[in-house]
Parts: sequence; C-alpha cells; structure tokens
Amino acid sequence: MKPPQEPTSGANGAGGGRSSVALEDVVKRFGELTAVDHVDLTVARGEFLTLLGPSGCGKTTTLRLIAGFEMPDEGVIGIDGVDVAGLPPYRRQVNTVFQQYALFPHLSVEANIGYGLRHAGVGKGEVRRRVAEMMELMEIPDVGDRRPSQLSGGQQQRVALARALVMEPAVLLLDEPLGSLDYKLRKGMQFELKRIHRDVGTTFIYVTHDQDEAMTMSDRIAVMNAGRIEHQGMPEEVFDRPRSSFVAGFVGDTNLLEGTVTEVNGDHARVDLGQLGVVGGGTYDNLDAGQRVKVSIRPTDVAVTAAAAGEAAMIQDAVLVGGHVEMKIVGGGEELIAHVPRSAGLPPGQEVRLSVESDRVRIFGDA
Amino acid sequence: MGATAPLPSATTAGDEPRKGGRHAERSRRLGGVFLGIPVIGWMLIFFAVPYFLLLLQSFWEPGPFGTVHNWNLDNYKMVFTGDELVGDTYLPTLLKSIKIGALVTLFSTLLAFPLAYLLAFKIRNTRTRMALYTLVIVPLWASYLLRAYAWKVILGQDGLFSSVLDKVGLENTFLNDLLYSQWAVIIAMTHIFTPFMVLTIYAILERLPKNLIEASKDLGVGRLRTFRNVVLPLSAPGVVAGATFTMGLSTGDFVAPQLVGGKSDVMIANQIYSQFGATNNWPLGAAIAFVLLAFVAILVAISTLAERRELV
Repeated sequence: MKPPQEPTSGANGAGGGRSSVALEDVVKRFGELTAVDHVDLTVARGEFLTLLGPSGCGKTTTLRLIAGFEMPDEGVIGIDGVDVAGLPPYRRQVNTVFQQYALFPHLSVEANIGYGLRHAGVGKGEVRRRVAEMMELMEIPDVGDRRPSQLSGGQQQRVALARALVMEPAVLLLDEPLGSLDYKLRKGMQFELKRIHRDVGTTFIYVTHDQDEAMTMSDRIAVMNAGRIEHQGMPEEVFDRPRSSFVAGFVGDTNLLEGTVTEVNGDHARVDLGQLGVVGGGTYDNLDAGQRVKVSIRPTDVAVTAAAAGEAAMIQDAVLVGGHVEMKIVGGGEELIAHVPRSAGLPPGQEVRLSVESDRVRIFGDA
Repeated sequence: MGATAPLPSATTAGDEPRKGGRHAERSRRLGGVFLGIPVIGWMLIFFAVPYFLLLLQSFWEPGPFGTVHNWNLDNYKMVFTGDELVGDTYLPTLLKSIKIGALVTLFSTLLAFPLAYLLAFKIRNTRTRMALYTLVIVPLWASYLLRAYAWKVILGQDGLFSSVLDKVGLENTFLNDLLYSQWAVIIAMTHIFTPFMVLTIYAILERLPKNLIEASKDLGVGRLRTFRNVVLPLSAPGVVAGATFTMGLSTGDFVAPQLVGGKSDVMIANQIYSQFGATNNWPLGAAIAFVLLAFVAILVAISTLAERRELV
C-alpha cells in the first residue's frame, strides 16, 4: 500500500529483524510541561513491549505520538521503517485499544468491529467473514447484534481489541486497556492478551501503571519517569538489576536505604549503612568512595536471624501475608521491610541480625 | 461502565432494607407532591384552564354581542375550506407558515452547526471559547421584540438595506425582493432562533467523547467521513431538539411577519391574532389556534419518537 522507503533508523530491535517501531530522540511539550523528554525506543517486530510508569510520566503521550494523535516537537518516529512525521492517524499502520474502549455507541458490535474495514472499501462479504473470525478469536461470537452499552466491561474490552486487530495493523497500541476491569477479570484478561498476542504475532505496545501486568505479559519493559525512559529491558532484568532507584522502587517492593560508598571495584561497590553495617552490591553508575548513595534491597532478599540482645535491629511488627510473614524491622534509625517464611517463628520485639547476598543488592548514585 | 454485578444478589440483598425504607420512601414521595403544588397550581390556573376555555370557544359561534354557546364543528370546517363570506383562507396560510418555519429551521441549523462544532472541537483556548459562547448568547439578553425591530430598521422601507441598494443602483434588482417579503421574515427569524440551535447542538457536541473521533481516525477513516459517520449521528439528538424548538416557535410566530414582512406575508399566527382583534371572531380564532397546536404536538411527538429510536 505504501511506497517502500528507506528506514529512518539504523537501530534494529532484538532478534535481528527490522524494527517495528523506532523512536529517536523524541520530545513532546505541552506549554511549559515536557511530557516526553528525549525518548529513544526501539520495538522489534512481534515483540510485546510495555511502557510502565506512574500517571503523568509520559507513557500515554508516547503512545499517542506513535498513533498519530500528537505530533512530536523534536525527533523521528518510524513505523516499519517509514518516517511517519506529519502523517495523520488514519494514514498509519497502527491501531489503538483505548482506555475507555471508545466503542461507537450508535453502532452494533458487528458494525463496530467492521468499521475500519468497511471504510477501507473491503467488500461486504469479506468484512462479514473477517469480523466473524475476530469475534471467534475473542470468544464473543454471539453478541454481534447488540449495542456496546448492552455488553459487560470484559466483553466491551474484547470488542475494542477485535475492532483494532481486524485491521491487521503492523503495531497494536494498548492504552491501559484493563484499567477499568475488576481484579479477577483483569487477571484473566492478562493471560487472554498473551494468548492473542501469540496467535496474531503482531507487535504490541502496552501502556500501564501496574507493574504486575507489565511483569506477566511483556517480552520487554520500558520504565518511564518524568518523560524519560529510565530502564529498558526484560522483566527479570528490570526487576533484578534496575538502572535507577526509581525503577527499583516502582517495579516491585524494595527497601531504599541511604549510605556512603567505602570501596569501589568496577561495577561492584561496598556501602556503609551506618548501624546496619556494610553491604556489597552491584551498580551501573560511576561511584567514588565517600559518595552518598541509595541502596536497594528487596524484602524477599533480607535474611533475618534471631540474635542476642544488644544487636542493632529489632522486629517492630509482623503481619501474616499469604504464605509469608511481612516484618517491619527498625535499626539504626532506618526502617526495613523483610519477607520471612512462616517457619522462622520470630515474634515482634525480637532482636535480630540482618544479612543479604551481595548479588541481590543494587547501588544507585542518584541519591 | 464496567459494572458486572449479578442482578439476583442485588435483589436479595435489597429485600431486607426496603422494609425499613418504606416509610422514608413514602414521606419522600409526599414531600415531592407538596413541593409540586405551587407549580401544579400555577400550570392549572394559567395554562390548563385557559386552554380548556379556548377549546370550548372553538366549538361555539360568534354573535353580534359576543360568543353564542351553540355547539358545532363549523369553525374547524372553515379552517380547512376558508371563510367564503370574508374571502379569507386559512389552510394555505398554515401551510405557508409551516414552510417558512421549515426554512428558518433549516437555515438556523446550517448556521448553528458549524459554529457549535467550532466551539466544541476547534477552539482549544478556554478564554476564546467563553468569549465566543458569550457572543452567541448576548442576543438572547435583548428582547425578541427589540431584535425584530432592529431587523425592521435594516430590512424595512427606507431602511439600511434599501438605502444602500438605492446608492449603488441595485434598487430594481432581485435584491429588492428581500424587502418586505417572506425572505425578510425568514432572515429575521433565522437570526432570532440561531442562538438556541447553537446552544442545543453545542451542549451535545461538548459531551461527545473525543476518543470516539480518535477511534474513527485510528481505524483509517479520514476527517470528513469521521464527521459523517460519528459526529453527525451522535449529535442528531441535539439537532432534533433544537429543530423541534425552532420549528414550533417560528411556525407560530406573528411578530416578525408583522414587522418585516409585506402585506401578503401574514402567517397563521397573524390570522389568529386578527380573529381575536379586528375581526372579533373568537371561535374561529380558537379553532385555527388548535389546528396549529395539533401540528406542533405532532411535531414534538415525532421528534420524541425519533430520539427514543436513537437511544435503543
């Protein structure tokens, strides 16, 4: 349909294939506010990428820039190797699943799903066939004659997905599509979305503020904060080796402690946490001895053992949470959360000794 | 939106508290009736009773010293066949009034829709939008009569328009037909009713979720067809409401034709007016009025039906 053009970017995504979406140094301002601040992002063909971040971090604006609802002030956006600068949404090979679904209230479910095809001049019979196929894939085969208002939230969600996917887009954009569903439905839809992604093989770019959603579904996560991407990587990598204290705190629970660097050895360092002692850990930053830093220790990585009186730390509170005990431990003016097996049998008030494996500790120079 | 709570549990849960709430429910209903008394009384005395008296009139006969209570349908017959004695006809005037009303509705819709669209979608600056919005409603602060007189000054004999035509030597062209004519009446009424159209259409466009327009474009549909397939059908209820209002009021108008229309441009309301005034035939006037009322009632019924069909 579109004339083949030179790729705007030499940067390719993982897997060696041509990139599906490439953002280069993209900036978007709204008046005084810089919503998207020099963002570089490459999404490989068929990849499930999640833009994760708190509200106002610029993730939805980034999505809208790709969709064509907003135009960037600086930078280049390429879709399938074509520079889409200045192209309106209706000339881009992308489709969006909107946060509130945005189904046309005056059209039947069938007409909603077939809307794009019908206006693209696809024949009636062909539209009918592809709409039916999509409804089958979404497991909503019997609601074609109904109006969107007569459907449940979960069904509306599936119609919105079907309406976008039936266009066979190069990229599917999803803007917090599960945000207005209740918890159980949301869990179910996460697996559904994963299945649909496998079935259709389209590139998915998914926006959410829910780190669980991001961890379960994504091939790769880009964590955004204040208009910038702070970390891009596979879910485990983002969780295990976050690039900033913000990422460490946003993706999963963590204890962020302040300390002073005592020793640096390549990408490892030792940090003095005052009365809590000295810990070793990994870092991405260039640290100097004597520098104030932040140290991230996950609650699940804290080992708690009973100790004689006079130790620096004490269990202040212990709450049973599912299969483990969540302990609030105070020591050296700091407060720490630790997740301990129920079998540990440590009561509140108990003096304890804390330890942690150094490869589970991350150190950030952005203190 | 996403409420999927199963209904059965809602009813079983609702059974218990309803017993305790019955008293509160009844007193609330009683309170409602009590609060409604002034309005109901007002409507009864100043609306229902006069209409009923007028309806009675329409079945009586005029006499030399006031109405004679002689029950018959002659007045209604006369509305449709004309008064041979005086040589007046009423049905053609009614039809002409409906035609003028329809044209006024058409023109004010055509003028109002783009403006309402501009206000709702194109002007992003709140202050500019408020300023424009205010300009739209400013005319409503002046009385209708005043605005009609203003049009008389512009379009009337020796008015602004005709003196300009004289100056530029166009006084004998088709432009002259705009003066003291049906067109003058239509222009004046279009001006008067356009703000109402703007307000009703703007009200509905403003509530139209913007993401529906984005969704349409996202699905590959261009601006014009998005407008035709999404904006237009979803704004229909506002257009229907405004059009019903304009059509009803302009068909029954008698001020504009009297001030800016010519001798031959009387509308149905002028004829009703003259039956109650100069001609002094109240029963016939009442009958014409009820025929006009029936037309407006049918109009409202059709528009209500159309709106209900939209929703289902």
